[in-house]
Amino acid sequence: MDLTLKRINKHFKGRTVLEDISFDVGPRELVSIIGPSGVGKTTLLKIIAQLEQPTGGEVVFPEPPSRKHPVILVFQDYVLFPGMTVRGNIGFGLKSRRIKKAEIRERVDRMLEYFRLEEQSGHYPAQLSAGQKQRVAIARAMIINPAVLLLDEPFANLDRSLKMETAGFIRKTQKEFGIPTISVTHDLEEAFAMSDRIGILLDGRLKQYDAPKEIYFHPNSYDVARFLGPVNIIPRNLYQLFGINGERGQQDRILARPENLVLEPLENGAGRIQEVTFAGHYIVYSVSLQDRVFTVYSHQDSFRPGQEVALKIKPYGEQ
Amino acid sequence: MKSAKLLLRLSPLLIPYLILFCGGVFLTVGQSLGFLTPLPYTGGTFEAYTQLFSDPHFLASFLFSLQVALASALLSVTAGTLLAYWVWKLPQRLQTAAIVYKIPLILPHIAVAFVVLIFWSRSGIVASLAHSLGLIDAMQEFPNLLYSGWGLGMILAYSLKGTPFAMLLIMALLLRFDSRQIQAAYMLGASRLQTFFRVVLPRIAPAMQTGFIILFLYSFGAFDIPYLLSESRPGMLSVNVYNLYFKRDLARRPEAMAMLTFMFCFAVLLIVAYSKIVNRLEDAERKI
Repeated sequence: MDLTLKRINKHFKGRTVLEDISFDVGPRELVSIIGPSGVGKTTLLKIIAQLEQPTGGEVVFPEPPSRKHPVILVFQDYVLFPGMTVRGNIGFGLKSRRIKKAEIRERVDRMLEYFRLEEQSGHYPAQLSAGQKQRVAIARAMIINPAVLLLDEPFANLDRSLKMETAGFIRKTQKEFGIPTISVTHDLEEAFAMSDRIGILLDGRLKQYDAPKEIYFHPNSYDVARFLGPVNIIPRNLYQLFGINGERGQQDRILARPENLVLEPLENGAGRIQEVTFAGHYIVYSVSLQDRVFTVYSHQDSFRPGQEVALKIKPYGEQ
Repeated sequence: MKSAKLLLRLSPLLIPYLILFCGGVFLTVGQSLGFLTPLPYTGGTFEAYTQLFSDPHFLASFLFSLQVALASALLSVTAGTLLAYWVWKLPQRLQTAAIVYKIPLILPHIAVAFVVLIFWSRSGIVASLAHSLGLIDAMQEFPNLLYSGWGLGMILAYSLKGTPFAMLLIMALLLRFDSRQIQAAYMLGASRLQTFFRVVLPRIAPAMQTGFIILFLYSFGAFDIPYLLSESRPGMLSVNVYNLYFKRDLARRPEAMAMLTFMFCFAVLLIVAYSKIVNRLEDAERKI
């Protein structure tokens, strides 16, 4: 049975924050809802966590959340209990259930080991790094086997270098414990890396809900495509120049990511290199073609400004 | 040279302290030992103290003062904590209205003593209300709350003053308390009571301790409320000092001063013990 959101609406002070949000999360699934800041992501989580009431619609749980199997929201800044040690924080839920001390000790020990927090077990939250705090917060939730785990911006407080590692860790943990998890974030790469399915939340609406690859390569609208990264629009009249034909050629326009365009040196080619920017592991080329400018990411750094080139789209299979 | 400059800069603080406080203590202790007394003193150096400690009335008074101070401080801090928590959880609009709790803070102690007297004495408002409601047949049947021998009137008056004071201290800490900690505790399965005792209370404990010690010492030594509401046997120490000083023989001045010295030493001891305990507790919590 899935956790299902049915037409969730939320109005706040006459403003529509969320409109008609519907999606479902499978029993062992990790889902990310991505959207820009201030789009109502946290509100959505709070509604699922039952900390806020929706104006309309309902959240249907496979089994109604109870004290035994609650919905747990891991806050963006973790909200650990500052007066308790790591051990105290992780054991909090068990102690609240009046479980025997020896059993609490044993179960907390297992969590400390899994979350690599053994050395910090006696530390207070103020002595921990952001990554450690987050692991405590997730361990504190996992130990009571929640019905659903909600993560609010799990990467927001982490160093750049730690984000991807954390995404991997969250995915591994989620698969290990098998707890349906919904995360909201604006960190695209990490969300893509860890999620089974992704929802794009723009202007209070869920624009697309699908597997990461589908979303990335087949965005259902320009807004979704644009939100996920720079995108080029190829109008129909340029299809021939780009070498587009067959089934693909039936569409009115094609959305192409910069990495899906290729440059070929060609004298008197239709395109002309305008700008070359070094961006680390790839080069960004701005190419003018008729009255448009296209962005291309390439590993070749042999093109020079002013050079005439042909611009092609990669065949489907190479995407 | 440097320290002279420092002393000079501190002088606005040091001079009143030296003259008023140290001078006062010196005179009090001196007179309690028989020096600098208004009448030539004939007894031994510690005679006033010997007399004091061998007097059963003094001991009874001391225990009574202790009991009144303890009860009123405990009552104030408990009520103050619960009320502060309750006000803090109110919606913002009501919180602004709840500011009325500060009113007793600006009332002088003597006024609060009168309020208690007017409401709770046998001829007071509560008694006549009970009478007109037919709960009692005659006003005289109203229980003698104020003079029951337990110091209830004083405890009530001190608590009326002390509760908003404790609230004020605790509210200051609660305002900095992240209410999501309560949400987190509920989500993790803690009951309201568990959340209060395990999550909220540790955060406001410092204010509760400070409030308790201040209120305890105040009610232990204050004079105005006992003067109006005290019972004679056993009386509060402060009233005993007053009587000894003003209403008895001038020759008993050392005894009055010995009693004052004793009260002062008791307060100092209490504060030293308190800060030792707090230091030890804070050592454990410093990491927070």
